[in-house]
Amino acid sequence: MKRQQRFAELEKRPVHLDGFVKEWPEEGFIAMMGPNDPKPSIKIENGVVTELDGKKRDDFDLIDLYIAKYGIDLEHAEEVVKMDSVKIANMLCDPNVGRQEIVKITSACTPAKLEEIVSKLNFAEMIMAAQKMRPRRTPATQGHVTNIRDNPVQIAADAADAALRGFPEQETTTAIARYAPLNAIAITTGAQSARPGVLTQCSVEEAAELSLGMRGFTAYAETISVYGTDSVFTDGDDTPWSKGFLASCYASRGLKMRFTSGSGSEVMMGHAEGKSMLYLECRCILLTKASGVQGLQNGGVSCIGIPGSVPSGIRSVLGENLVCMMVDLECASANDQAFSHSDMRRTERMIGQFIAGTDYISSGYSTTPNYDNTFAGSNADAHDYDDYYVWERDLAVNGGLHPVEEEDIIKARNYAAKAIQAVFEDLGLPKITDEEVEAATYADTSKDMPDRDMVADMKGAQDLLDRGVTGVDVVKALYNHGFTDVAKSYLNLLQQRLAGDFLQTSAIFDENWNVISAINDSNDYKGPGTGYRLWEDTDEWERIKDLPFAVDGKNAKL
Amino acid sequence: MAEMDDLVKKIMAQMQQEQTSGQTDKQRTATPTASQQKTLNTSDYPLFSKHPEMIKSPSGKGLDEINLDNVMKGNVKADDLRITRETLQRQGEIAKAAGRPAIQKNFARAAELTAIPDDKILAMYGALRPYRSSKQDLEDIAQELEDEYNAPICASWFREAAKYYESRKKLKGDN
Repeated sequence: MKRQQRFAELEKRPVHLDGFVKEWPEEGFIAMMGPNDPKPSIKIENGVVTELDGKKRDDFDLIDLYIAKYGIDLEHAEEVVKMDSVKIANMLCDPNVGRQEIVKITSACTPAKLEEIVSKLNFAEMIMAAQKMRPRRTPATQGHVTNIRDNPVQIAADAADAALRGFPEQETTTAIARYAPLNAIAITTGAQSARPGVLTQCSVEEAAELSLGMRGFTAYAETISVYGTDSVFTDGDDTPWSKGFLASCYASRGLKMRFTSGSGSEVMMGHAEGKSMLYLECRCILLTKASGVQGLQNGGVSCIGIPGSVPSGIRSVLGENLVCMMVDLECASANDQAFSHSDMRRTERMIGQFIAGTDYISSGYSTTPNYDNTFAGSNADAHDYDDYYVWERDLAVNGGLHPVEEEDIIKARNYAAKAIQAVFEDLGLPKITDEEVEAATYADTSKDMPDRDMVADMKGAQDLLDRGVTGVDVVKALYNHGFTDVAKSYLNLLQQRLAGDFLQTSAIFDENWNVISAINDSNDYKGPGTGYRLWEDTDEWERIKDLPFAVDGKNAKL
Repeated sequence: MAEMDDLVKKIMAQMQQEQTSGQTDKQRTATPTASQQKTLNTSDYPLFSKHPEMIKSPSGKGLDEINLDNVMKGNVKADDLRITRETLQRQGEIAKAAGRPAIQKNFARAAELTAIPDDKILAMYGALRPYRSSKQDLEDIAQELEDEYNAPICASWFREAAKYYESRKKLKGDN
């Protein structure tokens, strides 16, 4: 065929590098309301659920058993399942209906009922509903702080950098698993050195992650994965009961935690059981609620390529975030893993959560360039900061970040690098040289960093665990080297575990250690004139308005 | 569900009773705080600023004693920086008052787990993972939770898991 030149040109556009799949329900390649999804139903006899979404109790898998016992308000379930789903969908975007009123209904829904309600909404209505349903009034976002060489000096500097830009939660992980304790100490020290109150985590294997928290190297955890089918859950090496127990383990040490799910994971692991992604996700959401966990990271997350490949997939992903909020869980709404080669499309991916505002619009905005993102790259990265600030300024929307002066970033990066240098010295870890401190201060990526002896670092990391070093030792190390303010911050973070205020739904801290959660900052949106409005949050609006590269008419020489 | 509710209620009542009578068992090393018996509400939140006097470390230290000076003198150990059973119970009351009873149940389980050492708790979690344990193994842990750690809610969690792991084939050897 002779090529039509416009078609030939279009094929060169980045969007053609993305993967698209036609609907294929048998393998789970369908976003929502698939032909094999069950119809909502519930039967309760003597307080025991005997039928759930068309399935009889004898056929219940572990997920059904768990949700039926702990995840649904059985007192109202039969009545709510019979309600008209369009009517409930209407309540979701009607500003006159308050959040609490809806939560009473959604708490009594089965997974299929939740799916049916959300499927009645178009994308704009989902944005309206999410604006009202997110638990915390003030939106925020979360950042990834990693680099491909697990360089701890750079992690500390990047954590400080990200803290100044506004991330109240930061997440690191490792390129090499054995680095975990060093990365954890580096992100926590770096973040506290720049902005007290930032919560930090290190994403590793479940038991290892808990252990880091227990030692006082991290403040919260999020990579506690749950899945929508029993066989994938087992492949993930857990059951609802083990995950529920793990949730209680975290709370028992005063550590914040949320679960992680996200559509596409069951397809990716080959056991979607012919169900749609949204239906399976609704099961994950209810099993999170059933566990008494305060929140969930969902919205495709690391499997975003799968829902992103099918029709209505990105709508469905906002839908699953919305379901999470509807059942009163903190929602960290993904927008993390890179999934598109097209700048237009990755903007599209984010726009719903960005406009509505969620508890964490991104649950992993890469605070480094994606080159250094060991979560396999994020949808937006450090090189997108200026674009993101302009979005916020153009639309007067708080996306959770704000511009910072170059001079302040240099100062903060340098201070963080020096603080971690002191900690390493005090704890007998391999030396961090002044040259490394200088490089981390001015670095963009790990290419700008001198090489470290990685074998020595890994030995040091293991030694740290063997010696039973804890957060208290980090506090002492900081104090011993004159970093009294950072020592104080680090200690405050540990001290907050005693109070447990940040175990409540959607909790973050401001720079003065005031907790901001769905309890003392609950979302009160009820239409225009209510809820969070950026221009009423005057300090933050001033920061966003004050774009460093905007022309200042007062200083202009005409 | 009702069964679990009753159990939680019973435990809570027991804990409160112990508090009033000033009784301590070997698991509860914290000094019981005065006569605070009122059920907390959302207006009592955050505890850190509204009720600092209620917050104690497991060894009975007050919030004001957790300071740099004491850390440097070696008076604050890592074990002092842990939440207590009582504080989790209070946060549970606040969660319930905010309309989140499932969170209260999680905190009730967690309150029991405060008594269990880190290594032990990690091993218990491992035992609940699929194909790790026989039914007897899980029931033994339940017994241990009850006898050694005064943790009946968690014990019934393990017994429930044992029952369903058997019928749904998640016990050791089922894979």
